[in-house]
Amino acid sequence: MQDAGSGWALEVEDLTVAYADQPVLWDVDLQVPAGVKMAIIGPNGAGKSTLVKAAMGLVRPVAGEVRIFGRPRESARGQIAYVPQRATLSWDFPTDVLDVVTMGTYGRLGWFHRSGAVQRQLAEAALEQVGMTAFLRRPIAELSGGQQQRVLLGRALVQDAPINILDEPFQGVDAPTERAIIGVLDGLAEEGKTIIVVHHDLQTVPEYFDSVLLLNVRAIDSGPVSEVFTEENLRLTFGGRVGVLETREIEV
Amino acid sequence: MDLFGDYTLRLVAFGSAVLGATSGALGSFAYLRRQSLLGDAVSHAALPGIAIAFLLTGSKAPLVLMVGAGLAGWIGTLVVRAVVGRSRVPYDSALGIVLSVFFGVGLVLLTFIQKQPNAAQAGLDSFLFGQAASLLRQDVVTMTVLAAAALMILGLLWKEFKLLSFDPDFASSLGFPVQRLDGLLTLLLVVAIVIGLQTVGVVLMSAMIVAPAAAARQWSRRLLPMVLLAASIGIFSGVAGSVMSSIVPRLPTGPTIVLVLSAVVVGSLMLAPRRGLVWRFLRLGRLLRAPDLDPVLMHLYALSLQHASDPEHGHKIAVLRTMSPSGADVGTALEGLADRGLAQQTGDGLWAPTPIGRREAERVLDREAES
Amino acid sequence: MRLRRILILAVVAAVSACGDHVTAPEENGGLRVVATTTIVGDLVRTIGGPEVQLEVLMGPGVDPHLYKASAGDVRRMSSAEAIFFNGLHLEGKMTEVMERMGERGVTTVAVGECLPAEELITSAAFSGLHDPHVWFDVGLWARATHCVADALAELVPAHADAIRNRAQAYRDELTAFDGWVHERVGDLEPEQRVLVTAHDAFSYFGRAYGFEVYGLLGVSTASEAGTSDVKKLAHFIAERRVPAIFVETSVPPRYVQALKEAVEARGFAVEIGGTLFSDSLGDQGAPAGTYVGTVRANVETIVTALSETQ
Ligand SMILES: Nc1ncnc2c1ncn2[C@@H]1O[C@H](COP(=O)(O)OP(=O)(O)OP(=O)(O)O)[C@@H](O)[C@H]1O
Ligand SMILES: [Mg+2]
Ligand SMILES: [Zn+2]
Repeated sequence: MQDAGSGWALEVEDLTVAYADQPVLWDVDLQVPAGVKMAIIGPNGAGKSTLVKAAMGLVRPVAGEVRIFGRPRESARGQIAYVPQRATLSWDFPTDVLDVVTMGTYGRLGWFHRSGAVQRQLAEAALEQVGMTAFLRRPIAELSGGQQQRVLLGRALVQDAPINILDEPFQGVDAPTERAIIGVLDGLAEEGKTIIVVHHDLQTVPEYFDSVLLLNVRAIDSGPVSEVFTEENLRLTFGGRVGVLETREIEV
Repeated sequence: MDLFGDYTLRLVAFGSAVLGATSGALGSFAYLRRQSLLGDAVSHAALPGIAIAFLLTGSKAPLVLMVGAGLAGWIGTLVVRAVVGRSRVPYDSALGIVLSVFFGVGLVLLTFIQKQPNAAQAGLDSFLFGQAASLLRQDVVTMTVLAAAALMILGLLWKEFKLLSFDPDFASSLGFPVQRLDGLLTLLLVVAIVIGLQTVGVVLMSAMIVAPAAAARQWSRRLLPMVLLAASIGIFSGVAGSVMSSIVPRLPTGPTIVLVLSAVVVGSLMLAPRRGLVWRFLRLGRLLRAPDLDPVLMHLYALSLQHASDPEHGHKIAVLRTMSPSGADVGTALEGLADRGLAQQTGDGLWAPTPIGRREAERVLDREAES
Repeated sequence: MRLRRILILAVVAAVSACGDHVTAPEENGGLRVVATTTIVGDLVRTIGGPEVQLEVLMGPGVDPHLYKASAGDVRRMSSAEAIFFNGLHLEGKMTEVMERMGERGVTTVAVGECLPAEELITSAAFSGLHDPHVWFDVGLWARATHCVADALAELVPAHADAIRNRAQAYRDELTAFDGWVHERVGDLEPEQRVLVTAHDAFSYFGRAYGFEVYGLLGVSTASEAGTSDVKKLAHFIAERRVPAIFVETSVPPRYVQALKEAVEARGFAVEIGGTLFSDSLGDQGAPAGTYVGTVRANVETIVTALSETQ
C-alpha cells in the first residue's frame, strides 16, 4: 500500500476552511514526512481539529488540496486511522468495548459483511495492546475517561493504517494512561507508521514527538522539533500567553 | 384463547404488531441519534402530503395517500437539512419550524378539502388519529410488505447504520458515504411512519417512534438487544392495544396502543436495573448504609501505591479481606465503589482503584490530615 | 411546545385567509339566507321560493359531524340575515360559531330543535343527547316545515302568505310521500328489515318504517369505531344472515368494507347493497338532488338489496 512516491505521508496545500464565512484555517501548507511523530500545537479554536478533519475529508475546504502518499485524498482510502476528540462522541450509546474496537475493521470488511472470528481476534489483540483486555464486554457508558481513550486508540490500531491521526488523546487522562498511550504510539512509530497528534501540553512536546506543527488559523511553522519548537514561534502562535516557557527551559 | 379467533382482531392486531416492530426498530436509531423530534416532524409533515395526494388524484386509495404522506415527510426532512445547512437555525428549531408549517398547511388543506364532494369518502380526517378498526386485508398486506422491506434493509446495512449512529465522522473516515446512509436511514424512518398513519395517525405516530426505543434503552446495554427489545415492546403494545379495544366497546385502537406504550415507558424508567429510578434509589440507600466503603477504598489506594508504575494493577479480594475488620462485607463495598466509578475489576477477583478513586482517596487523606 | 402551537395557528390563519369557494349564491335580491346542510337547504329553498337568496355551506357528500367552519363560511354567515341549521349537535364542530352568530343578531334557526321533544330519539351512545338525523322520518320532517315557514314569514312579512302557502303544499306533498315509503317498504317482510350502515343515521327511519338499524360508528362519525364494534356487528350479520349492508355518501366506505371482510371471515357472504345518502342530498340537478329524490333513492336501494334472499 505504502508507496514511497514523494516521500511525504501527508501533504496539505493552500488549505482554507471556513464555517459560515468565518475562516478557521487560512492558506495552510503542511508536509509530513513518512514515519515521523508530529504534534499539532495551537491555542483553543486555532483550527487544529478542523485541519485534521479536512485531512480526513470530514469537512469541505473552501480551497486547497490534501494528498496522501502523493495521491489525492479521495483515492487514498484506508490510509488513515482517525481517533476523534473523545468528548465529541456519544458515550451513552448502547455498545461495549469489544464492539467499538471491532468497528476499526469495518472499513476493510466492505458492505453487507458481518464481522466474524477474524475481526474478533484483531480486536482482542488491539485491546491487549492498550491494556483493556479485562473490559471486553463492559458497556462504553461505564468507562472512565482514560479507558474511553484507550478504546478509541484500540479501534485505530485495528485499522493498521500507515498514518494515524489522534485528536487530543491525552485530554483528561491520568499519567499512567498517558504513558500507556505514548508506549503504543512509540510502537507504531517503530513499525514505520506516521503519527500525527493534536496536542495541548507544550511541556511534553520534545519528549513525545520528533516533529511539530504550530498552528493558529495559519500554519506558523512546521518541521523537526529541534528547529521549529522555539520560543519565538510559540509566541507567534500563542501570542503573549506562553507561561510554560518562562518557568521551564526547553531542552532538545 | 377465543380472542384471536376473531378475524377483525387478528387483522388489526397483526397490522399493529407490524407497525410496532418497524417503528420500534427504526425508532431506536432515531432515538440514539438524538433525532426523536425528527419522527415527530416527519409524521406531522405527512399530513399535507395526504391532503395534496387526494387533491391531485381525487383518489381515496390508501396506497396513493401513503405515497403522498411519505413524499411530504421526506420533503420535510430535506427542508430541515437545507435550513440547517444554509442558516444559523439550530437543528431542533428547524425541525420545529418544519413540523409547524407543514402540519398547519395540512390542517388548512383539510378544512379546504372538506368541501370537496368525495372528501368525506376519503376519510382524510381519520389520518389525524388513525382508524385501526377500518383496516382492510389489503392495507395490512401493504404495511407488511413495506415493513419487511424496511427491516430487511436495516438488517443488511446493520453495521453501517450502527457506525453512522455511533460515530459518523469515523464512518466517513473509513470511506462510507455518510450523507447517503443518513438519507437512507431517514427514508426508512419515513416508511415506518407511513406504515402507522392508518392505525395510529399523524399526531400519535411520533410516540410510536420514540417510546419503544426510550423504554428499551433502559434495559439494554448493546445495540442489537435494544433494537430487538424496542421492536418487541412495539409489537406487545400494538397487540395489547388491539385486544383491549376489541374488548371494550368504542375504545379507539390507536390511542390505546399509545397508552399501553406509555405505561411500558413509565415502568421502564422506574424499574430498569442501573438506569431505573427505583434501582438508583435502592442503590443510594445501600451506599448510605455502607460505612465499609471508604476503608476499602483506602486499602485499595494503599495497595496501588505499591505499584506506582502500574496503578491499575489488580489486587486479590482476599488481600482486601485480610486488611478489613472481620465481618465487613468487602464484596458489596467493592460493588458500591464500582458503581460510583471509584474502583474497577481488572480481572477475575482482581480489583484496583480508578483514577477518580485514587483522587478521592487522596482527598480523604488530605481532609484527615487537616483535621 | 407552546411556540409550536402558535406557529401552527399562524400558518392556519395565513393560509386560510386566501379564499375558498362555496356554491355561488343565488342572486335574486331576496332575503340572504345561509343553510348548513343540503337537507336543511332544500327545505328552506322549497318554502322560501323566490323570497330567499340561499347559500349552502356543505355541499353533497360533506360530513356535517366533522365539518369545521372556514374563514369564508364565517364571513358568509355574519353577512346573512338568517342561518338555518339542523341543530341537535349534527354540526358538531360549529356549535360555538352558531352561538356567536346568534349573539351578533343574525337570526339562527335550528330546524331539528323545533320538533316536539317527545318525538326525538335519545341516544345513550351520543352522551344521552338527541339523535340529530330527524329527516329520515318523512312524516316527522314534514312537521319541520312549520318552523321554517314561521321564521321566514317573520323575516319577510310582505310575502308571509306566499311562504305559508308553499309550506302547506310541501307538507301535503311530504305526507303523501310518506305513504309511498310505507308502501314500498312493505315489499320487505318485517324480519327482512335489518339496516346496517356506516354510522347511526337511520334510527328515525327505522322507527318510522319498522327497521332494526345498526351503525358501525355511532351517531356521530367523529367517534371512532373500536375493533369490538366491528366484531360484534359482524357476528350479528353472520348470525342473522343479513343479505346486504350499506356504505354512505358522507362516510368513508372502508368501515363497511372492513365489516364485510369480517363477516366473510365468518363464512357468510354479505353484499354491499349500495350507497345510501346519509347526511347530505345527492348532486343538485340529479334525481337525488332534492330531499324527496334522496329518500326515494335510499328506499329503493334498501328494498332492492334486502329483498334478495340467499
Ligand atoms: N461545526 C462548526 N461550525 C461552526 N464553527 C465551528 C465548527 N467547528 C468548529 N468551529 C469553529 O472553528 C474554530 C476552530 O475550531 P477547532 O475545533 O478546529 O479548534 P481547535 O483548535 O481544535 O480547538 P480546541 O483546542 O478547543 O479543540 C473555532 O473558532 C470554532 O468555534
Ligand atoms: Mg479540537
Ligand atoms: Zn350523521
